[in-house]
Order: sequence, then structure tokens, then C-alpha cells
Amino acid sequence: MMESPAIAWKQWLAENGPRLLLFARGWSQNREDAEDLVQEAILRMWHHQADRGQVPPDLPLVFSTIRFCGLNHHRSEKRRRKREESVIYLNDFQDVWLDPLLEEDEEALLMRDAVQRLSQKLREVVIMKFWGGLTFAQISETLAISPNTAASRYRYALEQLAHDLRSKKEVRHA
Amino acid sequence: MHDSKTVETILSRLMPPALSEDGQRGIESMLDELAGVPAVDKRPTSHRHFPFIVGGMAAALAAAVLIFQMTTPPPQVIATVDNFPGFLLVGESDRVESMTDEGWHEEMDGTTMRAMRLSVVEENSLFDEETGIVMQVTEPREELLLMPTSAF
Repeated sequence: MMESPAIAWKQWLAENGPRLLLFARGWSQNREDAEDLVQEAILRMWHHQADRGQVPPDLPLVFSTIRFCGLNHHRSEKRRRKREESVIYLNDFQDVWLDPLLEEDEEALLMRDAVQRLSQKLREVVIMKFWGGLTFAQISETLAISPNTAASRYRYALEQLAHDLRSKKEVRHA
Repeated sequence: MHDSKTVETILSRLMPPALSEDGQRGIESMLDELAGVPAVDKRPTSHRHFPFIVGGMAAALAAAVLIFQMTTPPPQVIATVDNFPGFLLVGESDRVESMTDEGWHEEMDGTTMRAMRLSVVEENSLFDEETGIVMQVTEPREELLLMPTSAF
């Protein structure tokens, strides 16, 4: 009897779920929305892979799909907000994107904040490169930019992170 | 002084959190369902039980209306429709069908923007209070989205 493709997809999800969730955070208001975005992207991928042996998809394609779904949601959200301008939205300040490996790692916590403060276009390159494990060629494919631009954005992001971390440390220890 | 290597070392001490139990379970259930039932419609947001008509393409604005469901009692109302008394907006979606990078675009004030051309399909479901019929109005259009590039 043939093994259900769902088994392979679940293994793939267990391996890649956290990095997809992290990337989806850049296109969502909160963790729950990001998880919905990941689910929507996986649903689209499932149908996309139907003609390709129903094997789990390549990561760059999933990142692209999350962006695409995120853009859709962003636009719907804008329309909804226009209609409900009087509603006050509250932020969940405990809702963080990354966890430090060690609880008291002050430097890592500062870096986490710095990553969240990066502009979207720099942050998504860092996430795809660092936690997604994509090459600059794969990132360039995902974002429809040249590999050189992807590499430049990564370098520029690291510079910004270094600068941000330095400033925060100086303020904290002043 | 933090060089790139140091920054990467600190980044490696951060890990993305796992999906929540609910999130993970939801996706796994969906995968089980998908594996058990052959896919009929490839779009996740479509109304697969009802036929629908899609209007004209590209920049030409066109609308197609199709009666697809008799509904009693009326579904949850989102808003009234000013131009059509007697109709209530009960569902809406605005989805991007395709996206093309149009490159850089310079504004009159000299700022540079990234231009993305989007093919968008807007779908509204209208409930006729008199007959209890829900109609779906589909309107394809094109948009040029300009995104500021000041961050890089």
C-alpha cells in the first residue's frame, strides 16, 4: 500500500514550520495571523504540488507564497481598517519573533529587538538567509531581485544590526 | 565594535519559535483531509460548490453577477450598500492574482519608489433582503503599487 503524502508533508512541516512562521511574522500583525498565513501557503503549495508527485515543496517557493498571501491579507486588512477607523488595535507586547537559546542572554535579546526593527526588505533577506538557510541565488529568485542585491541587502542588514546593537548597549550602560 | 561575524554569532543564539500546538494541529488536520480527498478546486478561497462567472480581464473594469445561493436566514452582514438599497454586503475578498515587478519609478519630488503591477480580483457577496438570494459580484482590475525605498 502506498504511504499517504500527508506523512511526508508533516515531517517537512516539523522541520520547516518555525522558519516559515518567522518569515510569516513579517507579513502579520501577530503570531496567530502568521500561523494562518503559513497554513494558507501550505494549502496553496499542496495544490501546486499535485502535478509534481505531491512531494513537499522547495523552501524558496514557500517563502514566495507566504509573501504573496501576506500581500493579499495586508490589502484586505487596509480595506477593513478603512471601514472600522474607530476601532483601537492593541499590541501584544509579549508576542516575540525569536527566542534566545539562553534566557539571560542580554546581547541576544537586544539583537532580537534589532531584527524586528529592520525594514521589511532587509529583514526578509536576513530571515531567509540565516534561519531559512537559503542561498543568495534562491533569495533572489524568491524576491525577484538580483543575487548581488540580495547579498548587498544582507550585508547592509548586518551593518544596521551591529550599529543598532552598539547604540542600545551604550544607552544601557551609560 | 561588532563586525558581521560577531553579529552572525549573536544571531545564531536566537531561534524561531515552533508553531503553536493549535497551529501545528490545524495544519496537520488539513494535510490529512487533503490527502484523503482528491483536490477539486485549486484556489483555497473559492466557493467550490457554486458556479461562478469571472468578468473581463486586465485594465478594463468589468463586473459579472451570478446568483449562487438561496439563503435563509440571512448571513452575517458586513455593511449596507449605499448604491443598492435593499442589498447587504455579506462577504468580500480582494485577492491578488499575479504580481509583476515593474522596476524603479521616480516621483516628481525625486524620491524613488519600487513599482509592482498587480492583477487584482475583487469579489463581493450581496444579500438581497427581498428575495433572500446571495449574489457574487466579481471585478478584476489592475493596480500599480508604489513602495518607498528609503530604507535601502
